[in-house]
Amino acid sequence: MTPEPTEAELLVRARSGDIAAFEQLSGAYADRLFMLLLRLLGDPDEAMDVAQEVMLRAWLGITRFQGRSSYFTWLYRIAVNEANRALDRRSRRPAGVSIGARELELPASPAQDPSRAAESSELRQALREALMQLPPELRTAIVLRDAEELSTEEAAEIAGVGQAAFKSRLHQARLRIRAAIGDDALVTAGG
Amino acid sequence: MGIPDYAGDHQWSQQHLSHYVEGDLRPRARRRLDRHALGCADCGRGIRAMRALVYAVPGVDGHAGVSAPAAIFDRARLAGAGGPAAPPAP
Repeated sequence: MTPEPTEAELLVRARSGDIAAFEQLSGAYADRLFMLLLRLLGDPDEAMDVAQEVMLRAWLGITRFQGRSSYFTWLYRIAVNEANRALDRRSRRPAGVSIGARELELPASPAQDPSRAAESSELRQALREALMQLPPELRTAIVLRDAEELSTEEAAEIAGVGQAAFKSRLHQARLRIRAAIGDDALVTAGG
Repeated sequence: MGIPDYAGDHQWSQQHLSHYVEGDLRPRARRRLDRHALGCADCGRGIRAMRALVYAVPGVDGHAGVSAPAAIFDRARLAGAGGPAAPPAP
Protein backbone atom coordinates (compact mmCIF):
# COMPACT_ATOMS: atom_id res chain seq x y z
CA MET A 1 0.00 0.00 0.00
CA THR A 2 1.37 3.41 -0.97
CA PRO A 3 1.57 5.73 2.02
CA GLU A 4 -0.29 9.02 1.85
CA PRO A 5 2.00 11.83 0.69
CA THR A 6 2.98 14.28 3.38
CA GLU A 7 2.08 17.96 3.20
CA ALA A 8 5.69 18.79 2.35
CA GLU A 9 5.66 16.32 -0.55
CA LEU A 10 2.37 17.69 -1.84
CA LEU A 11 3.75 21.19 -1.59
CA VAL A 12 6.79 20.31 -3.70
CA ARG A 13 4.58 18.71 -6.35
CA ALA A 14 2.11 21.61 -6.32
CA ARG A 15 4.91 24.14 -6.70
CA SER A 16 6.09 22.27 -9.77
CA GLY A 17 2.65 22.64 -11.37
CA ASP A 18 0.78 19.51 -10.23
CA ILE A 19 -2.76 20.77 -9.65
CA ALA A 20 -3.94 17.41 -8.31
CA ALA A 21 -1.33 17.73 -5.57
CA PHE A 22 -2.47 21.30 -4.93
CA GLU A 23 -6.08 20.12 -4.60
CA GLN A 24 -5.07 17.37 -2.19
CA LEU A 25 -2.95 19.79 -0.17
CA SER A 26 -5.56 22.54 0.00
CA GLY A 27 -8.53 20.18 0.09
CA ALA A 28 -7.50 19.15 3.59
CA TYR A 29 -8.44 22.67 4.73
CA ALA A 30 -11.30 23.36 2.31
CA ASP A 31 -14.17 22.70 4.73
CA ARG A 32 -12.65 24.87 7.47
CA LEU A 33 -11.82 27.57 4.99
CA PHE A 34 -15.35 27.60 3.60
CA MET A 35 -16.73 27.75 7.16
CA LEU A 36 -14.44 30.69 7.94
CA LEU A 37 -15.73 32.54 4.89
CA LEU A 38 -19.33 31.81 5.86
CA ARG A 39 -18.65 33.31 9.24
CA LEU A 40 -16.92 36.36 7.87
CA LEU A 41 -19.37 37.00 5.04
CA GLY A 42 -22.65 35.54 6.26
CA ASP A 43 -23.77 34.49 2.81
CA PRO A 44 -23.17 31.03 1.27
CA ASP A 45 -23.11 32.24 -2.33
CA GLU A 46 -20.61 34.98 -1.59
CA ALA A 47 -18.57 32.59 0.56
CA MET A 48 -18.41 30.16 -2.38
CA ASP A 49 -17.36 32.91 -4.78
CA VAL A 50 -14.62 34.08 -2.44
CA ALA A 51 -13.52 30.49 -1.67
CA GLN A 52 -12.96 29.88 -5.38
CA GLU A 53 -10.96 33.09 -5.58
CA VAL A 54 -8.87 32.05 -2.56
CA MET A 55 -8.01 28.72 -4.18
CA LEU A 56 -7.19 30.43 -7.46
CA ARG A 57 -4.87 32.93 -5.74
CA ALA A 58 -3.27 30.19 -3.67
CA TRP A 59 -2.65 28.10 -6.80
CA LEU A 60 -1.22 31.01 -8.76
CA GLY A 61 0.89 32.14 -5.83
CA ILE A 62 2.04 28.83 -4.40
CA THR A 63 5.57 29.24 -5.73
CA ARG A 64 5.84 32.36 -3.56
CA PHE A 65 4.90 30.45 -0.41
CA GLN A 66 8.15 30.44 1.52
CA GLY A 67 7.17 28.13 4.36
CA ARG A 68 7.76 30.78 7.02
CA SER A 69 4.30 30.00 8.34
CA SER A 70 2.29 26.80 8.02
CA TYR A 71 0.46 26.25 4.75
CA PHE A 72 -2.82 26.47 6.68
CA THR A 73 -1.90 29.91 8.07
CA TRP A 74 -0.88 31.11 4.60
CA LEU A 75 -4.14 29.87 3.06
CA TYR A 76 -6.24 31.40 5.86
CA ARG A 77 -4.46 34.70 5.44
CA ILE A 78 -5.39 34.77 1.76
CA ALA A 79 -8.97 33.95 2.78
CA VAL A 80 -9.16 36.80 5.31
CA ASN A 81 -7.74 39.26 2.77
CA GLU A 82 -10.18 38.11 0.10
CA ALA A 83 -13.11 38.27 2.54
CA ASN A 84 -12.14 41.83 3.46
CA ARG A 85 -11.98 42.75 -0.23
CA ALA A 86 -15.44 41.24 -0.72
CA LEU A 87 -16.79 43.19 2.28
CA ASP A 88 -15.24 46.34 0.88
CA ARG A 89 -16.93 45.73 -2.47
CA ARG A 90 -20.19 45.07 -0.64
CA SER A 91 -19.95 48.35 1.25
CA ARG A 92 -19.61 50.20 -2.07
CA ARG A 93 -22.75 48.69 -3.52
CA PRO A 94 -25.73 51.03 -3.75
CA ALA A 95 -28.25 50.57 -0.95
CA GLY A 96 -31.03 48.18 -1.77
CA VAL A 97 -28.96 45.53 -3.48
CA SER A 98 -27.07 44.31 -0.46
CA ILE A 99 -26.63 40.62 0.00
CA GLY A 100 -29.08 39.09 2.41
CA ALA A 101 -27.62 36.69 4.93
CA ARG A 102 -29.12 33.26 4.56
CA GLU A 103 -29.76 31.19 7.61
CA LEU A 104 -27.51 28.30 8.46
CA GLU A 105 -29.43 27.07 11.43
CA LEU A 106 -28.08 24.34 13.62
CA PRO A 107 -30.62 21.63 14.26
CA ALA A 108 -31.79 21.77 17.85
CA SER A 109 -30.66 18.80 19.87
CA PRO A 110 -33.62 16.55 20.73
CA ALA A 111 -32.20 16.25 24.22
CA GLN A 112 -32.65 19.97 24.72
CA ASP A 113 -35.55 21.40 26.58
CA PRO A 114 -37.79 23.12 23.94
CA SER A 115 -37.81 26.48 25.70
CA ARG A 116 -34.06 26.26 26.16
CA ALA A 117 -33.65 25.38 22.49
CA ALA A 118 -35.68 28.45 21.55
CA GLU A 119 -33.57 30.65 23.79
CA SER A 120 -30.46 29.14 22.29
CA SER A 121 -31.78 29.68 18.77
CA GLU A 122 -32.64 33.30 19.60
CA LEU A 123 -29.15 33.80 20.99
CA ARG A 124 -27.58 32.37 17.83
CA GLN A 125 -29.67 34.72 15.71
CA ALA A 126 -28.77 37.70 17.91
CA LEU A 127 -25.10 36.73 17.83
CA ARG A 128 -25.15 36.33 14.06
CA GLU A 129 -26.67 39.79 13.64
CA ALA A 130 -24.26 41.35 16.13
CA LEU A 131 -21.27 39.74 14.37
CA MET A 132 -22.41 41.08 11.01
CA GLN A 133 -22.69 44.58 12.47
CA LEU A 134 -19.02 44.61 13.52
CA PRO A 135 -16.41 46.33 11.38
CA PRO A 136 -14.52 43.69 9.35
CA GLU A 137 -11.31 43.85 11.40
CA LEU A 138 -13.20 43.25 14.67
CA ARG A 139 -15.31 40.48 13.12
CA THR A 140 -12.19 38.80 11.81
CA ALA A 141 -10.63 38.88 15.28
CA ILE A 142 -13.57 37.27 17.08
CA VAL A 143 -14.17 34.72 14.33
CA LEU A 144 -10.54 33.59 14.27
CA ARG A 145 -10.15 33.43 18.04
CA ASP A 146 -13.56 32.43 19.39
CA ALA A 147 -15.21 30.65 16.46
CA GLU A 148 -12.17 29.05 14.84
CA GLU A 149 -10.54 28.68 18.25
CA LEU A 150 -7.08 29.49 16.91
CA SER A 151 -4.30 30.58 19.23
CA THR A 152 -3.74 34.31 19.56
CA GLU A 153 -0.36 33.93 17.84
CA GLU A 154 -1.81 32.13 14.82
CA ALA A 155 -4.91 34.31 14.61
CA ALA A 156 -2.83 37.49 14.75
CA GLU A 157 -0.57 36.21 12.00
CA ILE A 158 -3.56 35.39 9.81
CA ALA A 159 -5.12 38.79 10.52
CA GLY A 160 -1.81 40.40 9.60
CA VAL A 161 -1.32 42.32 12.85
CA GLY A 162 0.77 41.99 15.98
CA GLN A 163 -0.57 40.07 18.95
CA ALA A 164 -1.24 43.20 21.04
CA ALA A 165 -3.25 44.80 18.24
CA PHE A 166 -5.09 41.57 17.67
CA LYS A 167 -6.02 41.28 21.36
CA SER A 168 -7.25 44.84 21.34
CA ARG A 169 -9.54 44.06 18.40
CA LEU A 170 -10.77 40.88 20.04
CA HIS A 171 -11.67 42.64 23.29
CA GLN A 172 -13.40 45.46 21.43
CA ALA A 173 -15.39 42.95 19.40
CA ARG A 174 -16.54 41.06 22.49
CA LEU A 175 -17.50 44.26 24.31
CA ARG A 176 -19.55 45.44 21.33
CA ILE A 177 -21.34 42.12 20.99
CA ARG A 178 -22.01 41.98 24.70
CA ALA A 179 -23.46 45.49 24.55
CA ALA A 180 -25.61 44.59 21.52
CA ILE A 181 -27.07 41.43 23.04
CA GLY A 182 -27.18 42.28 26.72
CA ASP A 183 -25.95 40.39 29.74
CA ASP A 184 -29.35 38.96 30.66
CA ALA A 185 -29.85 37.31 27.27
CA LEU A 186 -26.32 35.89 27.28
CA VAL A 187 -26.51 34.59 30.85
CA THR A 188 -30.01 33.12 30.41
CA ALA A 189 -29.21 31.33 27.15
CA GLY A 190 -25.76 30.34 28.29
CA GLY A 191 -27.16 28.79 31.43
CA MET B 1 -4.56 51.07 52.16
CA GLY B 2 -6.62 53.64 50.30
CA ILE B 3 -10.38 53.68 50.29
CA PRO B 4 -11.66 51.46 47.47
CA ASP B 5 -12.91 53.57 44.57
CA TYR B 6 -16.12 51.73 43.66
CA ALA B 7 -17.04 53.88 40.66
CA GLY B 8 -13.52 53.78 39.25
CA ASP B 9 -13.22 50.03 39.79
CA HIS B 10 -16.63 49.44 38.25
CA GLN B 11 -15.88 51.33 35.06
CA TRP B 12 -12.48 49.67 34.78
CA SER B 13 -13.93 46.21 35.44
CA GLN B 14 -16.65 46.62 32.84
CA GLN B 15 -13.99 47.46 30.25
CA HIS B 16 -11.82 44.48 31.15
CA LEU B 17 -14.26 41.59 31.32
CA SER B 18 -12.98 40.17 28.04
CA HIS B 19 -9.38 40.45 29.25
CA TYR B 20 -10.48 38.66 32.42
CA VAL B 21 -12.06 35.65 30.69
CA GLU B 22 -9.18 35.52 28.21
CA GLY B 23 -6.67 35.33 31.07
CA ASP B 24 -4.97 38.50 29.88
CA LEU B 25 -4.92 40.36 33.20
CA ARG B 26 -1.83 40.44 35.36
CA PRO B 27 -2.34 38.92 38.84
CA ARG B 28 -2.79 42.30 40.53
CA ALA B 29 -5.36 43.45 37.96
CA ARG B 30 -7.15 40.11 38.20
CA ARG B 31 -7.38 40.44 41.96
CA ARG B 32 -8.76 43.97 41.53
CA LEU B 33 -11.52 42.70 39.28
CA ASP B 34 -12.20 39.66 41.47
CA ARG B 35 -12.50 41.87 44.57
CA HIS B 36 -14.81 44.29 42.82
CA ALA B 37 -17.02 41.58 41.27
CA LEU B 38 -17.57 39.98 44.68
CA GLY B 39 -19.57 43.02 45.73
CA CYS B 40 -20.94 44.06 42.37
CA ALA B 41 -23.83 42.10 40.87
CA ASP B 42 -23.45 43.86 37.50
CA CYS B 43 -19.84 42.83 37.09
CA GLY B 44 -20.49 39.31 38.38
CA ARG B 45 -23.21 38.96 35.74
CA GLY B 46 -20.90 40.58 33.20
CA ILE B 47 -18.28 37.87 33.76
CA ARG B 48 -20.91 35.15 33.28
CA ALA B 49 -22.21 36.92 30.17
CA MET B 50 -18.74 37.24 28.66
CA ARG B 51 -18.05 33.56 29.29
CA ALA B 52 -21.40 32.64 27.72
CA LEU B 53 -20.58 34.80 24.71
CA VAL B 54 -17.21 33.13 24.12
CA TYR B 55 -18.85 29.73 24.56
CA ALA B 56 -21.69 30.53 22.15
CA VAL B 57 -19.75 32.03 19.23
CA PRO B 58 -18.60 28.70 17.70
CA GLY B 59 -22.22 27.56 17.38
CA VAL B 60 -23.51 30.67 15.67
CA ASP B 61 -23.69 29.18 12.21
CA GLY B 62 -23.12 25.50 12.66
CA HIS B 63 -19.50 24.78 13.45
CA ALA B 64 -19.67 21.20 12.27
CA GLY B 65 -21.09 19.48 9.27
CA VAL B 66 -20.64 22.17 6.63
CA SER B 67 -18.61 20.93 3.69
CA ALA B 68 -16.97 23.04 1.04
CA PRO B 69 -18.70 22.57 -2.31
CA ALA B 70 -16.72 20.55 -4.84
CA ALA B 71 -16.63 23.58 -7.12
CA ILE B 72 -14.22 25.31 -4.76
CA PHE B 73 -11.30 24.39 -7.08
CA ASP B 74 -13.05 25.27 -10.36
CA ARG B 75 -11.21 28.55 -11.00
CA ALA B 76 -7.86 27.08 -10.04
CA ARG B 77 -8.49 24.17 -12.43
CA LEU B 78 -9.36 26.60 -15.23
CA ALA B 79 -6.10 28.40 -14.64
CA GLY B 80 -4.31 25.11 -14.05
CA ALA B 81 -3.12 24.60 -17.60
CA GLY B 82 -0.67 27.43 -17.21
CA GLY B 83 0.55 26.18 -13.85
CA PRO B 84 1.38 28.38 -10.93
CA ALA B 85 3.44 31.48 -11.48
CA ALA B 86 7.13 30.76 -11.89
CA PRO B 87 9.14 31.15 -8.69
CA PRO B 88 11.35 34.18 -8.43
CA ALA B 89 14.89 33.66 -9.66
CA PRO B 90 17.26 32.72 -6.83
